[in-house]
Amino acid sequence: MSAYLFDRLHNGLGQVLDLRYAQHGLAASNIANAATPGFRARYIPFDKVLSQAVGRGEAVGMQRTDSRHFLAPGEDPARPEIDEIEPAPWQVDGNSVDPDKEVVRLTENAVMYDAVSTGLSQRIAMLRYAANNGVGA
Amino acid sequence: MDFLDVFSVSASGLTAQRVRLQAVASNMANARSTRTEDGQGPYQRKLTVFQSESLNFDDELGAAMERVHVTDVVASQEPATLVYDPGHPDADEDGYVAYPNVNILEEMVDMMTTSRMYEANTNVVRTTRQLADTALSIGR
Repeated sequence: MSAYLFDRLHNGLGQVLDLRYAQHGLAASNIANAATPGFRARYIPFDKVLSQAVGRGEAVGMQRTDSRHFLAPGEDPARPEIDEIEPAPWQVDGNSVDPDKEVVRLTENAVMYDAVSTGLSQRIAMLRYAANNGVGA
Repeated sequence: MDFLDVFSVSASGLTAQRVRLQAVASNMANARSTRTEDGQGPYQRKLTVFQSESLNFDDELGAAMERVHVTDVVASQEPATLVYDPGHPDADEDGYVAYPNVNILEEMVDMMTTSRMYEANTNVVRTTRQLADTALSIGR
């Protein structure tokens, strides 16, 4: 029954929300370590990861015939694919964090988090409307 | 990983930047100190050493997020600035006075960088708070 109430899009939205939150954590970590020598900036490449998150119901990616088979990186929502940025030639201490880029990434991510959570709220409002037999919301 | 972990990462960033600012303040205040309490010569510029440490979780994401902490405050090994001033009480036998290896302009730039990084970290704390509020209002 839950497959009718909470379809692939609903679960997909939840997983995207988790990914957005993970991105926030990585950006926070990058900003805190902006002056640490040798630290590599990390982020989640959303253009690669989004299609996997929403389309997980279909048979794309690695085939698993047993629950003990490993998931490919990025297929397990608790283990998102994480990319590292290599330091530019002028970053002599090996730190590849660009604080301005990280703050922009953080802000953009917060906007998307807001958008996805609004989407989730609207779907729940629709369910509530249906559950109340179309009376109120 | 939950919101408290993100707060602790940002808090570590704020603390590290504050320690660095204290080192800068000490350097600027003592830029002309030819003597120190231990009598070993002029004041030496203080440098902070930052190191990152993982949050130590079993999942990849927790291992990818890192706190920062100041492992050491060390004295710079750069040579002191020698100024010829034979009348100065701290002049050596050749008439040179050893002034601290502090460059005021470098310290000013460090201060501005530290201040900007501190602001960036408070920005992160504010944004984290907004995310938490947004998450709590799903379905409300």
